[in-house]
Amino acid sequence: MLVLTRKAGESVMIGDDVVVTVLEARGDVIRIGIQAPRDVQVHREEVYQELRNANREAASPTDAAVRALTELLDRPAAASPPDE
Amino acid sequence: MTDTELDMPIIDMAVPMPGFPAHRQFVLVRLNDEGLLYAFTSIDDPELRFLVAPPEPFFPDYAPEIENEVFAALNTQDPDRLLVMVVITAGVNETTANLLAPIIVDRDSRRAMQVVLTGSNLPVRAVMRRAF
Repeated sequence: MLVLTRKAGESVMIGDDVVVTVLEARGDVIRIGIQAPRDVQVHREEVYQELRNANREAASPTDAAVRALTELLDRPAAASPPDE
Repeated sequence: MTDTELDMPIIDMAVPMPGFPAHRQFVLVRLNDEGLLYAFTSIDDPELRFLVAPPEPFFPDYAPEIENEVFAALNTQDPDRLLVMVVITAGVNETTANLLAPIIVDRDSRRAMQVVLTGSNLPVRAVMRRAF
């Protein structure tokens, strides 16, 4: 890991087109601005991890699961919760 | 561009889905007659598919706000031509939908991306129920 020291207002370049700027440091909270091209998505790490896990879990369901779901959708009454 | 075998328009990911960086092209295949369920199937790897659904029948109040950056990434000319699909996890006991990160497809440019609705507090796993 590359470790750098930066002051508020200073930036770091990643490749040719990603600019990470330290906007403000207050105690243990650092505000960071990121400029990146459209095809580079920027997420908080915990959001990215959660999304990646959710996608992996959703990927390639078994034929049985797909069949069960389509059957459920084709029978609206059974798919809806009972009225209370 | 059309895949000759499936005769389905190929959708290009403007940004790959998190966890699937190598999968850039998909087709959308309808799985039930009413159009409630679709398979989002990888061209690069036919073994990879996601179940996706339009949110309206299941989550009538769901109205994701799409930011201008997404329009730009998808080359969107007409926002009314955007298709919103939620990714479904079909489980044994419970089926959930990812409301935090829908897949947005531009029907004209045939480009798509999974958009994270930052700051929305929407769930990644919302239990699916049919709302009608």
